[in-house]
Amino acid sequence: MIAPMKKVSVVCMKEDRDKLLTSLQHSELIMITSSEEGLLGSDTLSSRRQTKIAELLKELDKYSKKKGLFNSTDVELKDFEKISDKDVELCEELEEKFSKKENLSSSLTKLKEKNLKFSGWESLTSDLSLLSNTKYSVILTGVFPVNKYEVFKETSFETELSFVKVSADEKVVRVILTFLKEDEQSVRNILATYSFEEVVLPVKTGTIKEEKEKTEKEIIKTEELLNKVNSEIEDIAKSSRVDLETLFEKFRARAERSEVRLLETVETVLVEGFVKEADTENLKKVIGEAVDVFDAEFYDPEEDEEVPTALNNGKFTSQFESITEMFNAPSYKGFDPNAVMAPWYWIIFGMMMGDAGYGLMMAVLIFLAKKIMKPKGSTEKLMNVLFYSSFTTIIFGVLFGSYFGEELIPSVLPFTAMEDPVKMLLVTIVVGVLHIFTGMIVKIVLNVKAGHIADAIFDQVSWMMIIAGIGLIFIAPLQKVGMVIAIVGALIVLFTAGRSKKGVVGKAVGGLVGLYGITSYFSDILSYSRILALGLATGVVGMVMNMLAGMIQGNIIGFILSLVIYVVGHVFNLVLGLLSAYVHDCRLQYIEFYGKFYEGGGKPFRPFKIRTNYINIKKD
Amino acid sequence: MSGIAIAIFGATLCALLGGTGSAIGVMAAGRAAAGVTSEKPELFGKMLVLQALPGTQGIYGFLIAVLVMVNVGLLGGTPADLTVAEGWAYFFATLPMAIVGLTSGVAQGLTAASAIHMTGKQPDASGKGITMTALVETYAILALLTSILLIFSL
Repeated sequence: MIAPMKKVSVVCMKEDRDKLLTSLQHSELIMITSSEEGLLGSDTLSSRRQTKIAELLKELDKYSKKKGLFNSTDVELKDFEKISDKDVELCEELEEKFSKKENLSSSLTKLKEKNLKFSGWESLTSDLSLLSNTKYSVILTGVFPVNKYEVFKETSFETELSFVKVSADEKVVRVILTFLKEDEQSVRNILATYSFEEVVLPVKTGTIKEEKEKTEKEIIKTEELLNKVNSEIEDIAKSSRVDLETLFEKFRARAERSEVRLLETVETVLVEGFVKEADTENLKKVIGEAVDVFDAEFYDPEEDEEVPTALNNGKFTSQFESITEMFNAPSYKGFDPNAVMAPWYWIIFGMMMGDAGYGLMMAVLIFLAKKIMKPKGSTEKLMNVLFYSSFTTIIFGVLFGSYFGEELIPSVLPFTAMEDPVKMLLVTIVVGVLHIFTGMIVKIVLNVKAGHIADAIFDQVSWMMIIAGIGLIFIAPLQKVGMVIAIVGALIVLFTAGRSKKGVVGKAVGGLVGLYGITSYFSDILSYSRILALGLATGVVGMVMNMLAGMIQGNIIGFILSLVIYVVGHVFNLVLGLLSAYVHDCRLQYIEFYGKFYEGGGKPFRPFKIRTNYINIKKD
Repeated sequence: MSGIAIAIFGATLCALLGGTGSAIGVMAAGRAAAGVTSEKPELFGKMLVLQALPGTQGIYGFLIAVLVMVNVGLLGGTPADLTVAEGWAYFFATLPMAIVGLTSGVAQGLTAASAIHMTGKQPDASGKGITMTALVETYAILALLTSILLIFSL
């Protein structure tokens, strides 16, 4: 059922803005319509803090990963708005640690670069201050490529130039050159032709050996400091990650309140939105508890207004809502298909899995997963859908006589899918016809309600007659009856399918084209054969696992290995079967079933609330 | 060639081509999924479902191969003495799954890759992406059914 909605506008004093929004955010009753001309709140600090903490958490990921897939932290709603100084201090401490780490690792890089420059010059034992330029001469240190050095060595130059080879390796030769200051330009030109590269030693005094040792000591010291900072961060990551995550959620909730755009006057603010009609009194009470001076008006939405759709279904049906929402949410003025879809989804899922053993496994595993993970929102609904479907899976498993791919207890039906797949194919096709008929009956009801009785007869009843009639032809005693029904149906289609077209020719062509629609019904019905195929796939793969395990069961080691094969194989098959059944059941609902009557096109009702990634909010 | 060798030829072809189709399909989808996951790691769960979809053809091919093996007594029994004509009958029965397994596996993989790109941009649309990808699989399922019905009738 689609819940009736009311439009609401609340006016309160500007200074109460955050109080009002907090109460709305906590109560989750209203979907606020953001106004483009509206103004943001004044709390920009929260949004900055939120971004900062998000960055810190990302950094912390390198130290300790978030444990598990689910949120294990529970926070009481009444504590959610409290932010302690301790938490903020933690945040600042962590920030400081990260910046310290940054500085240390950059100075470490610099030291390592410096250390690298010493290599090759170690044989220079004299004090480096001797290498500085004198009044008349220039002393250069640098490298030649090996082959160029060989040529350079043998050449004699006009200018005075003396050099000493310090060391050499495969690529370069390190030398010290001395020449007169007045020749500097010409010497440099000559050197350039020999691909000489000047190397400025990182220190000017002391010996290379001393300086190198000094740098190495510094490197070790810096590395120690860095390790210390890292282990400190790691400690924080282990002990206080949860605090930081909670803090992030708190600041995000604040930032989101501040980011709502609201129309303002000099003294007041206006909150507009939608609320379920049933919640109006509740909303007034919630606001009254938070704000002293306010005015809340409720009125009906206007005719052409886009109203969000809130659904109001029973416990069973509401679990299947997310499946419809994934396809197309129902529109506010439209029809909510969940109540008709849910039982069909449930039954078809069971038929697709069709194994009592797997059904039992599903029931137990999903029950445990729900207990441990405590999922919320659409994940919880999906899990419930699977949990409910485990029961139909067991029922159909018993019907088909399938237990982990084996026929442990004989099938209740007179045949099994393995022995007589053709009979099973017929069963799935009958299920398909019934499913499609359900969809068409819904359309008939909708048409009649809208006053389009003729449309209901021409477009739905006629086709149901054709399909049912063709079906009856296969049952020998009813052959003639079936034929008559099918022909009457076909005549209705032939004469009415072109009724919206202009002219006799147009109507005649329209009728013939309409009759061609039989192909689409035919393919829709055949599409249900996937129920058999998926059921067989689950059964045969399960059987193969049993066979593989059975083959190696000769001795004790074989027996233990076979247990592993049983467990791994059947879990693998179950997961695969679940994925297929989920996907293909959805497809049957979306295309074959909804195609017959459902329009959708609505915007789901998403109340203003605390969004959380890391924690669960507990309400009392 | 003896009858049984021809039947085995059909069975291996099924496992071979179905597996190849799925491997290529899952690879195409996986590459797209890796790209999306690098930007949005929180979508990994949705990516995994979409990436797994083109994997079924390999399973179906394997399934037909096993059915043939069971039927001709290669698994847990003495191999049946098939005539050459019977061998060819098994071979032809496996062809739908073998060929459609290859082509639809690749095709579904490409569709899954597009659906993954869509989900990357609009995480809420993953359900629509899954449905689009599943539409391609219909033909693999029909081929599987054809092969199963043929083998059971032999």
